[in-house]
Amino acid sequence: MPSIPDINWLQLMPQLVIVATLLIVLIFDMIDSISKRTLGWMTIVGAGIALWSTINLLQVGTDQTQFNEMFRVDSYSLFFNIIFLVSTILVALISISYLGSDDKKQGPYYLLILLATLGMMLMAAGNELIIVFLGLELMSLSLYVLAGYFRESPASSEAGMKYLLLGAFASAFFLYGIALVYGAAGTTKIPEIISKLSLDNQPTPLSTSPLLLAGIFLLIVGFGFKVAIVPFHQWAPDVYEGAPTTIAAFISAGPKAAGFAAFLTIFVDALPNLPSHATNVIVLLAMLTMTVGNVIAITQTNIKRMLAYSSIAHAGYVLIGLAAANPDGKSSAMLYLFIYCVMNIGAFGAVILARTADGENLMISDYAGLGIRKPLLAMFMTLMLLSLAGFPPTAGFVGKLYVFKSAVQAGHYWLVIFGAVNTAISAFYYLRVVVTMYMREPEEELEFKPYPSTLVIGLVIAAIGILLIGILPSLLLDQAQNAVQSAPL
Amino acid sequence: MLLSIVIFLPLLGVIAIALLRGLGANAVKWIALGIGLLTFVISIGLYTGFDEVIVGFQTNSDLFQKLDWIPGIGASYHIGIDGISLWLVLLTTFLTPICIIAAWNSVEKGLSGFMMSLLALETGMLGVFCSLDLFLFFVFWESMLIPMYFLIGIWGGERRIYATIKFVLYTMAGSALMLVGILALYSQNNSSFDITTLQGPFQQANLLFLAFFIAFAIKVPLFPFHTWLPDAHVEAPTVGSVILAGVLLKMGTYGIVRFCLPLFPEAAAHYTPLIVPLAVIGIIYGALVAMVQPDLKKLVAYSSVSHLGFVVLGLFSQNDTAIQGSVLQMVNHGLSTGALFLLVGMIYERRHSRMIVDFGGLAKKMPIFATIFLIVTLSSIGLPGLNGFVGEFMILLGSFVGGAFSKWYVVLATTGVILAAVYMLWMFQRVMFGIPDDINASLPDLKPREIAVLLPILLFIFWIGVGPNTFLKPMEASIKEVATKVKVVPETPEVGQVNRQADTDDAVQEVKTATLQMIQMIEEEALTK
Repeated sequence: MPSIPDINWLQLMPQLVIVATLLIVLIFDMIDSISKRTLGWMTIVGAGIALWSTINLLQVGTDQTQFNEMFRVDSYSLFFNIIFLVSTILVALISISYLGSDDKKQGPYYLLILLATLGMMLMAAGNELIIVFLGLELMSLSLYVLAGYFRESPASSEAGMKYLLLGAFASAFFLYGIALVYGAAGTTKIPEIISKLSLDNQPTPLSTSPLLLAGIFLLIVGFGFKVAIVPFHQWAPDVYEGAPTTIAAFISAGPKAAGFAAFLTIFVDALPNLPSHATNVIVLLAMLTMTVGNVIAITQTNIKRMLAYSSIAHAGYVLIGLAAANPDGKSSAMLYLFIYCVMNIGAFGAVILARTADGENLMISDYAGLGIRKPLLAMFMTLMLLSLAGFPPTAGFVGKLYVFKSAVQAGHYWLVIFGAVNTAISAFYYLRVVVTMYMREPEEELEFKPYPSTLVIGLVIAAIGILLIGILPSLLLDQAQNAVQSAPL
Repeated sequence: MLLSIVIFLPLLGVIAIALLRGLGANAVKWIALGIGLLTFVISIGLYTGFDEVIVGFQTNSDLFQKLDWIPGIGASYHIGIDGISLWLVLLTTFLTPICIIAAWNSVEKGLSGFMMSLLALETGMLGVFCSLDLFLFFVFWESMLIPMYFLIGIWGGERRIYATIKFVLYTMAGSALMLVGILALYSQNNSSFDITTLQGPFQQANLLFLAFFIAFAIKVPLFPFHTWLPDAHVEAPTVGSVILAGVLLKMGTYGIVRFCLPLFPEAAAHYTPLIVPLAVIGIIYGALVAMVQPDLKKLVAYSSVSHLGFVVLGLFSQNDTAIQGSVLQMVNHGLSTGALFLLVGMIYERRHSRMIVDFGGLAKKMPIFATIFLIVTLSSIGLPGLNGFVGEFMILLGSFVGGAFSKWYVVLATTGVILAAVYMLWMFQRVMFGIPDDINASLPDLKPREIAVLLPILLFIFWIGVGPNTFLKPMEASIKEVATKVKVVPETPEVGQVNRQADTDDAVQEVKTATLQMIQMIEEEALTK
């Protein structure tokens, strides 16, 4: 006779606030007399309250599970909640002006963003492969629609379609992986799987079971698709290019962090107990991802595609932290994801800021002369790109350094050398945009739209965040390190 | 506190200019100059507060500061100076206001951006010289790239974009390796980035040495890593070249003497047979290439390659005198080459050409310019009584008498001094003497502002030349410390390392006198010309 578990609803506040917000957005969208432009602000306020309650929970320092140990409320999942909510707020800020005043478009857009955010929070909080899968699907389904949100644009529809097809494949892989792991371990609870893995004194230790290994590798494939690591990355550039720019920013930030949240939960603790091939696979994937992402990004002429390949490369840096498979590796990957989300949304925001009256300016050559004609825009863009390239004193530098540090401590010297060389390669294409903005003369005079205030607010927040974390990393670093220490091993 | 103020005052200037640039170009210039001069004046306090008896870093609370910064990874805000960094810090604060005055009228577009870059660069360079924490060091090392990148890329010549990207990529490739080295050191140092607690021997010292050394060698630049330098110099605006030659290159040699030598003495000795030939090749190759340059700026750029070869040679000699000479020569090169670039910039503003063939007979119409140019040229060659002589002589003497390598290398290096006389004096002759054509005859002589830019440098050129002890004394204790650390190494006969005893004293003496005679002859000839 299954009993209904006690549920501490207070600990679910962040998720509940998001659910409430999305219901409010849904209802307000149906009331005709209300201006739909307020929906964006509702999203921001809702996510802001959720962020506030997350920070409150983090300060109290809870370390519990809910719903029969399926759902974790610990500083690890709360840290990721902060990443997701900050991303959501920033994306909503840059979306308000981007969507324009078309009322029909507003409601579903914010609704889907909130749903995706809820899915991400589920993934980070999942203590159980099934919950992770539910979160993954909730997030992915919302994103498929969002990618194809501009129905009248063929590129957007194509992006949505492509994302749906490949994403569905990935989900199938993931689900099959869960099934195989369950078959081998007899449970879908992540801590139980990990503790069974560490019992290697049995006649047939679980860590060498072919069934489990097959399942693990299928999980890697599934995650690989979702976070766009090479060789599962092909969808990313097309989707980023075709999707609305705000959604490209969103897909490249939160969902990637969510994918890694689940990835890290499972693998950082499991890797030491798996055969060394598993670590080698991750190391190899990290090297491939960084190198392929950075090298292909060099040849791009479209800024959205360039940012797409750059975001692939950044997934590679996060994988370095994963491959280190020590507490520092885990917290460095978390810190990196946070910083990456802020700077990447900032970079896409700057792309939106460079819109002209007759559409978006996506060719890098269009940016010529912006340094003098649009100093504010050029400054934002430069700051974001320098941070992506990992120059101090921006946050990107701290993130990279910490990831490298954890890998050196784990003895992965070659991986770090690869990462460091890749940083130098990436500087080339990031700086090329800066070169174009400041050092080349424009070929034709473009009519730029005036700066929308919400977009500028979003960019200012991102810029301050990047500099603040770059100069005083302890603000965030200590949180990430605490989160890892409290996580159940 | 004083040291922190010196480092971050220029950054304050950057912020002030950013906020006040609406006041117009003149206000921006005066703010920049005011901040630059104030920084220099305050930095004199570093010299007056400096206690030359102290071995290692100064303990005076004005010259030393340590604060927790990122305890989570063991990085701290830890700064201080010793005898090695003292003069480099002062050189930086000295050259920056000079550069600001030199750029007074020559920047046409984006003046506020130019001044902001210059001041930001100053903070970065000062930070590199003062950091006692590897993390902090790397932050400054990398962050100083950005303003330099803008200085060359926005205000440079025709091929500025190529030059600036080459500069950044070369440096980043080096610093990527150094980052790995820093992290490896960190994990062997109880997870602390503190430089003062670093104690060898380290595991994998040879690899770590190379990781650091290549990054510094690119910056110096040591042959064969020098190819970015001529491009960067030629395309950079005058002030950019001055800073690049005057201070940025010294970050490489400073890194060698601060990290490579004391942290990995065995590895340094192990690679000395490889590095010293490269330094000697750099000396001769740089001089030969400088000789045939048709472009004044490129000539000065290649002369830097040659001069810094001497510095590297001295650093790896394991001899106090030579190491001290090298550190002094860093300052000397900063002054002489900085002044040369300023002079080339001034003549370029008048003639809009840097080709030597376009000039001739300038001495007749521009006597002040010609006089100052001659003094700086002679200082660069190493005429006794001027600064260049002291440094080069100490390097050559020290490495000849007590060098850890064959004396023949020193003999070969000495030919660099002769070659320097050849290319510098030949250039001087072609530019200054002869009959001026119409254009050259119409060029105006130096303006008071330009003389004001050059006079302070001349003062130090003479001061170091005549009274070098003022400058050598404060660095003595720190140099001795480095030299003893380096000397601990037992001499192992490596392949390619020649036994010192093999050279008989007689032969040595012969070569010595012959070389010195030759130098003397050349110099006399130069003077008579």
